[in-house]
Amino acid sequence: MKVGVVGAGVMGLSTAYFLSKSGIDVTVFEQKYLLYGASGRNSGGVSPMVDREELIPFALESLRLYDTLPSEVNFNFLFRKNGYIKLASDEGDAEKIREGVSVLRRFGISSKVISPEEVKEIIPDFNPDSAVLASYCREGGVIFPWPVVWGLARGCRENGVEIRTEARVEKIERNGSRFTVHVNGEKYEFDFVVNSAGAWSNEVSRMVGIEQNNMIIKEEVCVTESIKPYINPYIYDITSGLYVTQTARGEIIGGITGKSVDRIDTSSTVEFAVRYAKGVTRMIPKLKGLAMLRQWAGVYDEGRDGLPVVGFTEIDGFVQANGLGKHRGMMIAPALGKELAKLIERGENSAIKKFDPQRF
Amino acid sequence: MVKERKIVCRCEDLTEEEIVHAIEEGYSDLESLKRYTGATTGACQGKGCLMHVVRILSQKTGKSPDEIGITTQRPPVNPVPLYILSEGDVE
Repeated sequence: MKVGVVGAGVMGLSTAYFLSKSGIDVTVFEQKYLLYGASGRNSGGVSPMVDREELIPFALESLRLYDTLPSEVNFNFLFRKNGYIKLASDEGDAEKIREGVSVLRRFGISSKVISPEEVKEIIPDFNPDSAVLASYCREGGVIFPWPVVWGLARGCRENGVEIRTEARVEKIERNGSRFTVHVNGEKYEFDFVVNSAGAWSNEVSRMVGIEQNNMIIKEEVCVTESIKPYINPYIYDITSGLYVTQTARGEIIGGITGKSVDRIDTSSTVEFAVRYAKGVTRMIPKLKGLAMLRQWAGVYDEGRDGLPVVGFTEIDGFVQANGLGKHRGMMIAPALGKELAKLIERGENSAIKKFDPQRF
Repeated sequence: MVKERKIVCRCEDLTEEEIVHAIEEGYSDLESLKRYTGATTGACQGKGCLMHVVRILSQKTGKSPDEIGITTQRPPVNPVPLYILSEGDVE
């Protein structure tokens, strides 16, 4: 069996890694370089506090994999396990915070509703007037997405996977029961093609005649200069969409949840810089003296019903592994990749039935 | 004897040897080298080190500086404190 994976982000590489662990012959195509897409542009928040109940088991399993994979692939993921805080700045969202905690409890995960004053006990310079309610989960925290991708790539290569960079897939032809994939004037034959192209997944699907219509979301992120460890947990305000934490390198990294766009666009805007600066200095006023060093934008995709799109399609052998969605690609991709590899190997896997691409 | 240390990137405290090591590890295109070593991502955002990194990469890989290119240049041009940005107007 030969599998071609389109897109070397955390989803594509996880799938390739688990397939190759079972001895399957895999080639991964990346249109530019590793980390070019959303897996190289996000802020690394990981937590079981994912907003859709269907995804909680995958977030939990991914956290477990983030513990075991580094020694398996011999790469430190720089995972800072200092917890995750969700904030609500209006009453409607405060109710969501309460619901989220009771759902997590049902899964046996310890998390709690806390007041803004209690947030201040965890982050001394937090402004309690910037939120009405919060929730806190000790599991999870901040992972550095770059070594996750490099580590998975190393693990893949150790297992014999070929990762081709600067290798944009131009055409996919159905060729009997196989696929011919055209890349840089060369042709590759596969039994399965996995579409893990993130925001570019719609385009890849179109190559085999599937109109997928995943939502494309553009999001902007920035970092300040580095300072000594100061903000421990990952903080995400579900009302404003603003999130902030500190990286293992000491930079304060943060962004604002993106909006749906018609086409792929990774331009940076002053509007974002201003909006972020206003929001983050209201949340943690002491940050106002820090300088923003760099801002960038990324694009990712989300299934039309808000859930990932993972599994077999009406075209036999063409497999979707995309649409992971807002605030959760890094949180769920390793476990989804593992389950998708099982689906490809065995031909069925009930664990990911909810994400069936043919549900639409 | 004191080991010779040629500092290439002062913000991230990187030596030429470390850049060479990263290239040998396979991070041999500029964007990957930047991310793996942290070169050009510090306070100067590459103003002090980018050309050194390109030079080393060119010497190691035999590619011309034109083929190597430069990293994506991202705003702001110089670091801007958040209290200044927060005075901006948005709709």
